[in-house]
Amino acid sequence: MRLPRFPLRRDPHVLAGAYALDALDAGERARFERHLASCRTCPGEVRGYAATAAVLGLAAAAAPPPALKGRVLDAVAALGSARSDDAAIAAVLSAPDARIASAATSAGGTATVVASRHGGTMVFTSSGLPALPPTHVYELWFIGSAGVRPAGLVPPVRPAPAGPPGPAARSGATAPVLASGLSADDSVGVTVEPSGGTSAPTTTPIVVLSLPA
Amino acid sequence: MEPIRPAPRVPERGDAGLDGLVTLAGWGDQAAFEAVYDRVAAPVFGLIRRVLRDSAQAEEVAQETLLEVWRTAARFDPARGAALAWIMTIAHRRAVDRVRSEAAAAAREARAASAPVLADQVAEAVESSLEAERVSRCLDGLTELQRESITLAYYSGYSYPQVASALGVALGTVKTRIRDGLKRLRDCLGVSW
Repeated sequence: MRLPRFPLRRDPHVLAGAYALDALDAGERARFERHLASCRTCPGEVRGYAATAAVLGLAAAAAPPPALKGRVLDAVAALGSARSDDAAIAAVLSAPDARIASAATSAGGTATVVASRHGGTMVFTSSGLPALPPTHVYELWFIGSAGVRPAGLVPPVRPAPAGPPGPAARSGATAPVLASGLSADDSVGVTVEPSGGTSAPTTTPIVVLSLPA
Repeated sequence: MEPIRPAPRVPERGDAGLDGLVTLAGWGDQAAFEAVYDRVAAPVFGLIRRVLRDSAQAEEVAQETLLEVWRTAARFDPARGAALAWIMTIAHRRAVDRVRSEAAAAAREARAASAPVLADQVAEAVESSLEAERVSRCLDGLTELQRESITLAYYSGYSYPQVASALGVALGTVKTRIRDGLKRLRDCLGVSW
């Protein structure tokens, strides 16, 4: 019969390699991180392994589809405009559990959501959405097992700023919308509705953003 | 009287290098972030695709990763490691989180049954960089168990218990082989940290 293995706490150092390769499950990862905080030699060791792993990653480099760049920079431009003085918005953007989802909409442009599930809050921004006539508005929805619930109206699309083209001058962005009431399994959808909004969507969403777990 | 303090060193875009560009991006400089994108998009996308073995999912996860870099760039601290390692760590963590989410795993298995992807990856690996050559030379210098443990964990996103069962060895063996192998790789690659 084999002797029982040493429990993790006896020699946590040995996990430094597996930790740097993300080969621990969530529980062990958390335990190792607690150890890391009080270990004198581990942080340096882990840094060295992470830098080594990064070189392994470089060896796998492959050009992404060209469209990715536009989508990422559009989302960044929209988030840039959301770095406002509004403390509630800033709190969501910097929440430790914040998740970002961003996608092209079927109407054009890019919609971006930053959400904190813990806080049940999200910030919506967009860039390049077509401007709507005054009779209509973009409306946001939480979509999940709790049903489809209205999550606010998107302020009118601002015209693209004048000046030389650049990431900041990409087509018009909308001011950030802060909404609360996000449930654990919610996605965020956008529809075009009569101005003033509705209590249930009347059109097909132009985009549904599902948030990474 | 106020003591005279040196002004904080402000990275210049021209000579900043990736660390400086990420620092600038952390201050909200979108042009600096665009330069960061140009430098890291291929490694980020390539690594994530290697782990997920699916281009469409890899594109999504690469986008999440790059936006996380933008969102958290202000917390990047060059004193705690290079920006490239920091970014690749985020990319790998996100790829692994995705690979371990069950829905994605099921979809991938269904596709793997119908589409051979491995041949593509081999072809690409062959045409890729000097870096790849260096890495493969250093991987060759490891024992077989070290090499397989590290590549299954890193490139396939296996947890170490999964590595242990794939290779038919004890958990403790995998932990030590990964660590010993990384140590040798680090020295062979001349990684500074």
